[in-house]
Amino acid sequence: MPKAGSTSRIPRRTALAGLSAGAALLAMPRLGRAADETIRIGFPTPLTGPFAAEARDQVKCAELAVKLVNDKGGIGGRKVELLVRDDKLNAGEAATRTLELIEKDKVHAVVGALSSAVQLAVNEVTRARGVIYVSISQSDTINEAKDFSKYTFHEALNPHMTTAAVARQTLKKGMKVAHLVADYAYGHEMLRGFKRAQAAIGADSVGEILHPFGAADYSTFMPRLMSMRPDVLCISNFGRDQANAIKQAVDFGVKQQMKIVVPVILHNQRLAVGPDVFEGVVGGANYYWGLETQSKSAASFNAAFKAANGGAIPTDYGAYGYSGVGSLLAAMQAAGGTDTDKVIDALEKLQYDLTKGPQHYRKCDHQSVQSVLVLESKKKSAMAGDNDLFAILANDNGSDDMLRSCSELGHAT
Amino acid sequence: MTGPSSGEALAKPAASGLGRVLDHRVLLSIAVLAILPWLLPSKALAVNVLIYGVVVMGYNLLFGYTGLLSFGQAAFFGAGAYFTGIAIGRYGVPWFAAVALAVLLSTCLAALIGVISTRTRGIYFSMVTLALAQLVYYVALQAASITGGENGLRGFTVDRVSLFGLQVNFLDPVNKYYVLMAFAALALWFQSRILNSPFGAVIEAIRENEQRARACGYDVERSKLVVFMLSGAISSLGGCMLALHLSIVPLDILHYQTSGMIVMMVLLGGARSFFGPFVGAASFLILEDVISLWTPHWQIFVGAIFVLFVLFLPKGIWGTLLDGFGIGKARP
Repeated sequence: MPKAGSTSRIPRRTALAGLSAGAALLAMPRLGRAADETIRIGFPTPLTGPFAAEARDQVKCAELAVKLVNDKGGIGGRKVELLVRDDKLNAGEAATRTLELIEKDKVHAVVGALSSAVQLAVNEVTRARGVIYVSISQSDTINEAKDFSKYTFHEALNPHMTTAAVARQTLKKGMKVAHLVADYAYGHEMLRGFKRAQAAIGADSVGEILHPFGAADYSTFMPRLMSMRPDVLCISNFGRDQANAIKQAVDFGVKQQMKIVVPVILHNQRLAVGPDVFEGVVGGANYYWGLETQSKSAASFNAAFKAANGGAIPTDYGAYGYSGVGSLLAAMQAAGGTDTDKVIDALEKLQYDLTKGPQHYRKCDHQSVQSVLVLESKKKSAMAGDNDLFAILANDNGSDDMLRSCSELGHAT
Repeated sequence: MTGPSSGEALAKPAASGLGRVLDHRVLLSIAVLAILPWLLPSKALAVNVLIYGVVVMGYNLLFGYTGLLSFGQAAFFGAGAYFTGIAIGRYGVPWFAAVALAVLLSTCLAALIGVISTRTRGIYFSMVTLALAQLVYYVALQAASITGGENGLRGFTVDRVSLFGLQVNFLDPVNKYYVLMAFAALALWFQSRILNSPFGAVIEAIRENEQRARACGYDVERSKLVVFMLSGAISSLGGCMLALHLSIVPLDILHYQTSGMIVMMVLLGGARSFFGPFVGAASFLILEDVISLWTPHWQIFVGAIFVLFVLFLPKGIWGTLLDGFGIGKARP
């Protein structure tokens, strides 16, 4: 056992007194908060990591939704507060953050998460503790009976919806289709969606290549894809992977041979890479600011966002933050407070139109039924300004037919 | 609360004061852990300190006390968590038995990896452990039907646990903390027993001079393998605690970045000290937790602080503190 100098000794009583004083001090704010009437919404999102650009947009939009409600006097006189936490794109971190939000900050509901694995982790924590969670991450899994609970709502589109809309717009009977797919849950779900849509249309698969998540080099895949001689190439990946894959496909002259199609065309990636690379690429989207010529709610959302953010325009993933928080607040407004069962009831009955047209949560699986946009990236000469990125090819109105049926998802109907 | 000195001869306790108190390092460590949730900003953070403390403690046995720099500790952390989750979720094993089973299976995995890796030395040992741990990562990624793949393992929420016929609400953060603390206490006691045994002296002898230990007649190879397994067993217990805590097992837990984090925590807290792993885990997690609330650029600050620590406190926070009290000086 180690030796000890008997020099600097702290009397036990002093130490104990100090410790209990410290503990009391830390407990103070918690005691004070009990009387607090603020409605608190937890918002875990990946502020650091490869999806940080999308996450920042989500935070801005979510804050806007909160601000608009607070400007009108809050909900039943109670102000709303958004508690943003960095989930670091890590499921374990997100679960810990959500636990903190529920146990320490006593949030009334949670909205957020961008990656599929992360939202499933958040969902696991919230449903065990009976807290409402509105997911704004594209997922095919969260609505299935295994992961579903009455507290779970899914505001984002799911892969099934976007791939079907994109396929309807770009594929025809007898066409040959090749797939380049990121080898993780998101890519697999998108591939499954495309194949299902393809089968319905009567197009044929000529091959699929999986690439590792976060790959920088796609040069080995391109010649193989070109040798399959497809009419359409579906690239199912996300974030920087999408930009890199399309850039290298263009370098290889893929576009002269076939059309490039993506399940979700990303505003920020298109901005990052530029019009020449993305020219003619078609993809699905939940929102595009250019919708304002067709939709009143898009126009007012754009205007509010511009006013709050120095004239900037809202992006696709940002809009999820706005509609996710916005629909929840609208339901709380209708329920007259934060009582969980009443808010769930209100969410199930809610008809909302926040960014692009009418939306509602389907009762059996709480998936938001909403319109799906199909966008085509404009060529440089056709752009009216820096923000004029896409032409809207289609705006499919929301209907239950877009979704997999409740029995298919394993719900009792 | 500090590590034993190398060689029993040096380790006779001081007659008075702090030295006598520090004889009871296990009890003291547990006492500190018992008040931890009331000192930290949140219970979830305190539970994480417990979990990572145990994981890093297991690693410290390998790195700090035996001098084997492994880059694959995440494999055992993850194995403990996955085995616990799978046992509870798929086979309906009671939670306590699932933990025991998970530690057992993870120790077997450690034996397997240990047999291969302890044949190598130095940087080669680090690389082999890294490669084998990555292998475990890809197995978990590919066996999606069992492990949930990319989406992680779900569907084994433990909300009630029965303790001696008493039903405890495991979703309550305070209950959960103290149930998990019992595991940490067990691990602390276990580690103390190992270090106080002749075997503990042998592994420190290996760290100080492998040739000499061999010349003294110790079976160096077998000792390395045993300590590798013990280290894996303790770290896997941390994994079991994580599975019980979060009710999910994220795939990231097996990633080499987790191994890197474990190495950082042990350096931050102070390798070779008994309580250093907990200090390291706590400092690391608190820094990350608190600074990321202030700014999205938290990585710059955490990185800078880490660099400062490595430059100016090479013995880690706890190691330096002990030195300050004149405790570490007894060691070579």
